[in-house]
Amino acid sequence: MNKLSIEPIKQGKVAIEVADKPDGISVIITGEIDMQDPSVILDPLFDKVHKGALSSGIKVVEADMRALTFLNSSGIKALAKWIMTLASAPSDKRYTIKILHSKEVTWQATSLPTLTFLVPGAVSLE
Amino acid sequence: MAETTKRDGYIKLAFGPRWKYIAVVRGFIQNFLAVSLADNAKADKIAMAASELLENAVKYASEEETKVQMALFPDGEKAMAIAVSNKATPESIAYVKKLFERVMEGDPLEAYVAMMREAAVRSDGKSQLGLVRIRYETGCKIFLDTTSDTVTFRLELE
Repeated sequence: MNKLSIEPIKQGKVAIEVADKPDGISVIITGEIDMQDPSVILDPLFDKVHKGALSSGIKVVEADMRALTFLNSSGIKALAKWIMTLASAPSDKRYTIKILHSKEVTWQATSLPTLTFLVPGAVSLE
Repeated sequence: MAETTKRDGYIKLAFGPRWKYIAVVRGFIQNFLAVSLADNAKADKIAMAASELLENAVKYASEEETKVQMALFPDGEKAMAIAVSNKATPESIAYVKKLFERVMEGDPLEAYVAMMREAAVRSDGKSQLGLVRIRYETGCKIFLDTTSDTVTFRLELE
């Protein structure tokens, strides 16, 4: 179990796992997110990650999407919602989201860079 | 989509508005384009765009059946075109027209980022990001055609 005690998720074609990193945590999302309402699983997950990161003083949350082969726009909405919560977080507790992506996966190369524009300085892409 | 224009290849599909078929159709379109265009990245982008249109069609159709037509052209101003049609109520048609106007306004990236910020705080369960995503990420020309009971989105790629 990871330091935030977040359980793994497996629903339909997507699997999500939270793993500890030396400088924070990693949210590893694999498979495809193309369900009608991905907010049902993503919103509570990102809420737990956000609150846990703030209360634990974590400064970097990695979002590893390299093995996520498809994400629909409802999933992008959930990511945007998570990122936007950082704008209202106390500045001394704020963390950054480091998105790991693969340039070989077309949707990742075209969709993920746009997320860095939502909250200046909150998201980096590697 | 004009039936008389010379085409390199085409497909027509009609399916019942069931969410589970969207991934199947997306996969079929991706494969069709990857073979036809010999360009996987372009095929991926168009398959994503088709998937977003199909999601909207399935969510908001007033009757069974979503139609997809896709054609490749050997020469001329466009290389391929795809159209997705569904039946809709007058209220849905008015809503789509208004959304389309909003999506097509201004710079594509600025419109996308602005609508993502709005989506983040929406409480009605909608994302309204499909069309603006298509506009920015594919660079396709997007057209909306409506009748009294039908909505058709057409995408054209040079």
